[in-house]
Amino acid sequence: MTTAREVIAEVTAARETLAERLGSAIRRRIGAPGEIRALARLTGGATKATWSFDAVVGDETLPLILQQASALPGTARAQPLVHGTQDALLMQAAARAGVPAPRVRLVLEPEDGLGEGYVTERVEGETLGRKINTEPRFASVRPKLAAQCGAILAAIHRIDPRGLDFLAPQTAAEQLAGYRTLGDAFEHPLPALELGLRWVAENLPRAPRTTVVHGDFRNGNLIVGEEGVRCVLDWELAQRGDPMLDLGWLCVKTWRFGGPLPVGGFGRREDLFEAYEKAGGGHVDAAHVRFWEAFGCVKWALMCMQKGLGYQHGQRGNVEAVAIGRRIEEPLLDFLDLVTGRG
Amino acid sequence: MPESKPEAGILLDAAIDYLERELLPTLAGYHRFQCRVTANVLAQVRRELALAPGQAEAERARLVALLGHEGSRDGLNAELAQRIRCGGFALDDPSLLAHLRQSLVEALRINNPKWVAE
Repeated sequence: MTTAREVIAEVTAARETLAERLGSAIRRRIGAPGEIRALARLTGGATKATWSFDAVVGDETLPLILQQASALPGTARAQPLVHGTQDALLMQAAARAGVPAPRVRLVLEPEDGLGEGYVTERVEGETLGRKINTEPRFASVRPKLAAQCGAILAAIHRIDPRGLDFLAPQTAAEQLAGYRTLGDAFEHPLPALELGLRWVAENLPRAPRTTVVHGDFRNGNLIVGEEGVRCVLDWELAQRGDPMLDLGWLCVKTWRFGGPLPVGGFGRREDLFEAYEKAGGGHVDAAHVRFWEAFGCVKWALMCMQKGLGYQHGQRGNVEAVAIGRRIEEPLLDFLDLVTGRG
Repeated sequence: MPESKPEAGILLDAAIDYLERELLPTLAGYHRFQCRVTANVLAQVRRELALAPGQAEAERARLVALLGHEGSRDGLNAELAQRIRCGGFALDDPSLLAHLRQSLVEALRINNPKWVAE
C-alpha cells in the first residue's frame, strides 16, 4: 500500500526535480542565474502538462509558461495532434504572420531532461469564457471581440505553410471519416449523432482554398484583457484545410458559455465576417461557415464521447472525464436546432 | 424486503448538500473545480432516478411508432441509428426530427436542464 504521505513525498520530489532541470535549461539558453520561482501546475491533461513560473534572469524576473507534451496515450482519436517542437514552430510562424500567439522563449532539447515541449512568455489576462462574457470589466470590449477575432483569423489563414509540413492536410470529408471512425470505437449508438454525421456527409462544401487552420479557435482558448484579445492559445489541433472551419467553430453554441450572441457568446456573425474580409481574409459565405458550425456540433459530441467514454477502453474514469460524457446531448440538440432553423 | 430508507434520492440530496454548502467554500483551484464537478455528477444521478423510468417507457413507445415493431429501448435505438446511417430515413423527416429532439431534450433534463432552458 502506498500511503498518502508517500504520494505527497513523491510529488514534492518530482516537482523539485522539475524546478532544477527547468532552472538549468533557463540558465543555459536564456541567462543566469535562472532561479525558478512560483512554479505552479495549471492543467494536467492526458496529453500535456502546463506549468506557470517566474525565472530570474540577470536582474529581471520573467513571467513564463512551460508546456510539456508527454507520450500520447493509446486512445482513439479523430485527427492528428500537433505537439512539442512542432507546436513551437507553428506559434513562431504565427507570430511572424502578425498573430498574437504565445512568444516562444525556448524549445526543450533532450539534454534538458524535461521531455518534449517549450517555454513561452506568460501573458496575463482572462481565459474563462463565462467570465469574459459576464464580468463588468469586459463590458466595453465585448462588442469589439468578434471583429478582433475576424482580423486575427485572417492573419492565421495567411501563415506561411513552408516549414510546417507536419500540419496534416484535412479536407472536410477526411475529417468526417476520422470522426466517424472515432464514434464507431465506442459502444453507444445514438440516432441523433447518426443524423448529424449523415447531414455532414450530404452537405460537404466545396472548399475554394486551403490554408493553415488553427482548429480550436474559440472562446476559452483566447487570453482576453480589458482592451481585447491578447493571445491565441492551444494550437495542437492545427492543420491545413478549409479556413471557414475556424469561423464556424468559433460560433458553436458550446463556446458561447451562456452568452446571448453567436460568436463566442460575445459577438455578431456580421462583425466577424466583415472584419475577416476587411483584414484580407477573403470573401465569407455565411452558409459555408454554417456548415462548419453544424459539423462543429457533431465533432464536439464525438469529443465528449471520446473524453467521457474512455472507460470502455479500460481507462480509469476520473470525475471530470466521465462528466464530459454526459454532455454529448448538448451539441446534438444545438445541431438539430441549427439545421432545422430553430437555433 | 421493503425499499430501504432513507431512499437513494434522500442520500444523494444530503451528499450534494454537504459538497456544495460545506466542502466547496473551503476549497480553491483544482479541488474546488473537481468538487463542483462531483456535486454536478451526483445531481445528474439524482435527476436520473426521478425522471428516467417515465422517459424510458415514453421513448420506447415513440421508437415503436417510428420503426413499426416492438422491441427494447436499447435495441430499437440501435436499429434507428443504423437505419438513419444507411439512408432509411430522409434527413428532414418530420416525425424522425420530432422524436430525436424530444429524446435529446429529455436526456438534457437529466444531464443539464439549463441547456434546454437557455
